[in-house]
This record gives sequence, C-alpha cells and structure tokens, in this order.
Amino acid sequence: MRDPNAIDFWRGFALITIFINHIPGNTFERYTFSQYGISDAAELFVFLAGWSIGIATRGRDGVPEAPGKSVVRLLARTVEVYRAQLTVMLLALALIAGAALLLDNPLILEWHNAGNFFADPIQSVCGMALLTYQLGYFNILPLYVLLIGIAPLFVLVGRFSLVAALALSGSIYLASLVFEWNLPSWPGEGDWFFDPLCWQVLLVLGFVLQGWNLRTDILRRWSRKLFPAGIAIVVLGVVLAVTEIRPDPMVVPEPRLLFTFEKTYLTPARLLHFLGVLLAFAPVYALLVPRIGRIVGYLSQLGRNSLAVFSMGSILSLLGQLVRFQTGGGLLIDMLVAGSGLVGLGFTAWFVEWRSRSRSSRPRA
Amino acid sequence: MAQPQQVIETPRVSSVRRSVPPRAGSVVPRTRAWRLLAAVLPAVLALPAAAEQPADPGLGEASLSLECRVPGAQLYTAAQLGALKAALAENRPIKLLAIGGSAAPGASASYPAKLEAALEHALPKVDVVIDHRGLPGEVASGAAERLRTMVAEAEPDLVVWQVGTHDAIARVDAEAFENALGEAVAWIRSHGIDVVLVDPIYTASMAADVDYNRIVDAVRVVATQQQVPLVRRYEALHYLSRRSDRGEGHMLGRQFRLNDLGLRCMAEHVALTIATSLTRTEAPREPKADPATQPLTGSQRAPG
Repeated sequence: MRDPNAIDFWRGFALITIFINHIPGNTFERYTFSQYGISDAAELFVFLAGWSIGIATRGRDGVPEAPGKSVVRLLARTVEVYRAQLTVMLLALALIAGAALLLDNPLILEWHNAGNFFADPIQSVCGMALLTYQLGYFNILPLYVLLIGIAPLFVLVGRFSLVAALALSGSIYLASLVFEWNLPSWPGEGDWFFDPLCWQVLLVLGFVLQGWNLRTDILRRWSRKLFPAGIAIVVLGVVLAVTEIRPDPMVVPEPRLLFTFEKTYLTPARLLHFLGVLLAFAPVYALLVPRIGRIVGYLSQLGRNSLAVFSMGSILSLLGQLVRFQTGGGLLIDMLVAGSGLVGLGFTAWFVEWRSRSRSSRPRA
Repeated sequence: MAQPQQVIETPRVSSVRRSVPPRAGSVVPRTRAWRLLAAVLPAVLALPAAAEQPADPGLGEASLSLECRVPGAQLYTAAQLGALKAALAENRPIKLLAIGGSAAPGASASYPAKLEAALEHALPKVDVVIDHRGLPGEVASGAAERLRTMVAEAEPDLVVWQVGTHDAIARVDAEAFENALGEAVAWIRSHGIDVVLVDPIYTASMAADVDYNRIVDAVRVVATQQQVPLVRRYEALHYLSRRSDRGEGHMLGRQFRLNDLGLRCMAEHVALTIATSLTRTEAPREPKADPATQPLTGSQRAPG
C-alpha cells in the first residue's frame, strides 16, 4: 500500500466531486468547485490518469520499463476498466428498471437515456458491448476504456521523444476541434458525450508532464513562476461561471470549437482553465497534509482505488437520485444521501484494500 | 412475486404498437386503428368518426387519428412560427431538430419517423428533414448548454423540444428550471429559429405529485412568456387516459401502453400544433424572423 500522496489525494477529491455532481439538484452540488470555473472534475480525473500511467510505466529514477511490459500492463488495465463499465451499466439499468417496477412509474425508464435500452434491447445490448450506447452520467468509463486502450501508442512514442508524443496528441486534438470529429452514439443519433479524440490530449499531457517532472526540475520552477497566472485564470473562471458569461456557439467564428466552452470537446478554453487550476492548486496539497491529515488519508485511499470507487460512486449516485426522486429531496435527504455516499465510497476503498491484503497474506491453494 | 407478470406485459404492448398505422391518418391504417379501438375501447365509439378528411388537414383535431383525438383546447396553444413560415416561403426543405425522448423502438416505428410522417401529412408538399437528439440531463444543470451546441451544429429552422421530464425526476427546483428553460428558448429564438415546446408526459403514478405538476406548469409559463407554441402533452395524455381507462389491472400495463401510444399521438399532436400555428403566422417580410426576445448573455453580439 502506498502512502498518501498528492496524486491519490487529488484523485480522491475528483471522485468525491464527480459523485456529488452526479446527483443533480442536490444541495451540495453548489459547493463543488465544478460550479466555479470552466473546467471541472472530469478534467482532473483524466489528467491524473495520464500522470499515473507515467508512474506505472517508469521507475522512480525515470528509467522506463521494457516496452512490451508497458503495453501488456495498459492492455490489462483496459480490460479491467471495460469490465467495470459493463458491470456498472448492467447494475444501472437494473436499478432503473427495478425502481420503475417497485415505484409503479414508467417515467423512470426514460431516465438517462435508458429508454432506448428497454424499447430497443437488441441494438442497445450491442451498443453496450461496443461502448456506443451510454447512459447519461455513465459516460466517463467508456472514455477511460478508449483512452487507456490507445495509451500504448503514446507511451511507445514517448520512449523516443516526449515532445513527439505530445505533438502527435496535440495534432489529433486540434484536427478534431477543427473538423468536429467525434465517435458516434448507437443506437440513437448523436455523438459521445466525452469526445475521446479531444480528451486524449489531457491524458497524454499528464503522461508527458510526469516524465518531465521526473527528469528535471524545470517544470517545478516554471510552475512556481506561473503561479500568479494560475490564480488569475482561476479568478477569471469564477467570474465567468458566476456571471454565466460564455461564448454563444451560434456567434463565434469558425472553427467554432476553438472558441466555445464545450465539455464534450474539451475546448481550448477548458484546457487552459484546467492548466490554471493545476498551477494554482498544485501547492495546496503540501499545505493541507499537516492540517487535515485524516481527510488527506481518506481521499488518498479513495484515489488509490479509483476504479472501484468510481464504479461504486456511479451506482451510489444513481441510487441517491432515486432516493431524492421518491422522497422529494430536501436538505435532510441530501445530507443523508451525500453522507451515506461518502461512507459507502470510503468502505469500498477499504474493502478493496482489505481484500487484496488478505489475498496476498494467505498461501495460495 | 408479481414482477414476472409485469415483465410479460411488455411484448403485448409492442404487439399493440405494431398494429398501429405507420402513417397516421392514411386510409387503410385508420380502419385497422378502428378495429383496435373497437376491441379495446368500446365506449369510445360514441365519438364522431372521421368520415371525411377536412379540406385543410392541418386545421383541426379531426386530422388526428382516432385514438389520438383530443379537443384542440386541451391539446396545444398556438403561436407565431416566423422562421418556419419564411423557410416555407423559400420553398426549401424544413430542417427540424427534435430533442428529447428515446429514438427507439426500431427505425421505422421511432418517434422521428412518426413525426416526419405526421408532419408531411399535416403539411402536404413540404419536405421535412428531421434530426433527432436525446438530451439526457437536466435543463437546470448543464443540459441547456448542450442544447446550444446541438442547435449550433444542426442550424435548424425549428426546434421541437420535449422538456421537463428529467428535471422533474431529479427534483430540480421548478423556479430554477423555469429560468433555465426560458433563457434557452429565448436564446434559440434570438437566432431566428422557431421553438415548439412539448411538456412532460402524463402518467397516473405522477398525477398527484406536486413537484411534477410544477414542472409541467413551468413549461407552460415559459411557452406563454416566450410566445412559442406548446404541445400540452400532459393534458392530452391525461384526456386520453381517462377515455381509455378500462382498468387493465396490471401494475405497469396501462401506463406503458399509454406511454407507447403517447409517443405516436405526440407526433400527431406536434404536427397539428405546427400546422395550426403556421396558419396563424403572418407572411414574413424578411427571410429570417426578427429576434423576438431580448439577448441573453453579454457575449452575444448579433442574432444569427
């Protein structure tokens, strides 16, 4: 078990934020940082995933492991995430169907795009396996599967040159913005909620920055220098979010996506804002550790087991939505939902670690 | 224990669906619809039959197929559709963006196909191109932003927006919903694009739910304030459900059938609302309508 560290801590923080934001309308939503900026926790999550790939495929001394080993490692992780996505989708659909039956309310079946599945199961079940059928609020894992699936390409290019890996990724990103490339949804019209061709840039950025961070301290020096710029961007983000000023997609010049704030395409404004957040908040971890050690420990534990916690968080937030629906919501219910969610996520992380501990300590049969 | 039975209910529903006319209102399917109706709802026979097509099929509820027939006053409120009228005057295909609801079941029976059929029936000689998008999520938290993207991508003449269900289920505050919806509708109109709103579905299980009714009311308020046509699906389905309430005792059976029938009726109701609104729209002076409402955000410079 690794000790609490900044990466796991921020990952845990992103997981909690995503959990709260996935219960729309709840009281605590407005206290999450997602409401006060252009980018949100999804960016943080994907960036840290890229950073973690760097940690996993490079030793502490910066020497990368054998390329074949990295490829197999990422492949194994892809399978793991894919399996989690299928499990979570099945449970979510069962929760929705079960709630519709129990509460005698067909309306629930239409929730989060689930209506497609129940009305059109033959196509939808294929779409589920292909990841092209996604439920609302259940679209981060499909992105994650794809990103880790294509990560070996960037990791291998990065062996020769990190700049080349970043340039390749950046070109795909820019081309996707200009030509509005995205993967299609099926069944049903439309595209992926998170465009993998755009979002890959954040994963690769995390991977590349981790590599540079290991090699030299130029990155650290520059991030200290740019700290005021980060603060300025964060402040600007707060102002724009609170005043609800954003570019009108019908009015901006072509290519449209270079100028809007769209989450689907991780537009440059979101990317820039995220980098600002990164600069402004990177030093915060060191300040927090001595003060709120227990919370740091809790969040780091969540972050260490991010896949399990994320999966459980998706299910718990759907359950929370159903509870809010049936009870009508309100502060007390929201406290109960959020509170039991936080305990549930903590338990999930503890359980996963306990299981792996007890497995490894016992002799194999 | 009772649940397996409820599940079995679904195939029966789909068989009812298949017997329903693919092109609502055409002559042959109407006889079939009649048979279905006579079998399921004998009491309805008292209603006047549509012996003749009215001269202008877009002008009254008589153009609706029988099982979808609702008195006009309970069905819609009409308003001007300037952009659509202008598009018609240019003799070009109408680009329609249909938002919300599932695209299922099956390609031929889906809502966009039904809507296209109903519209081409209600507006003969007009070519309608429909782009259908689901919009999961709540209008009050994020979905309104995604809607802007969709509109910017599709650049339609008309947006037909089924709205409110997700916000109602998520127990979003009705006032927050109303503000966000009003803003989004005003934004669409500010770009010379027409909007038709469709309020949430009626189901018996939600009839007494205060929050749900507040959301339905909020949609109506926005339609009135923004002066856009409203398909009062809730009222219409409520009316139809009263008419067809013969107590099919299954837990979900009645509502599911209504839900499915509701999809087809909604297509007809939307078409009728559009056709009626068009007849009440003055001929345009300019190809694109004036921005009817105030601009929204500081970043807006000029209407499209």
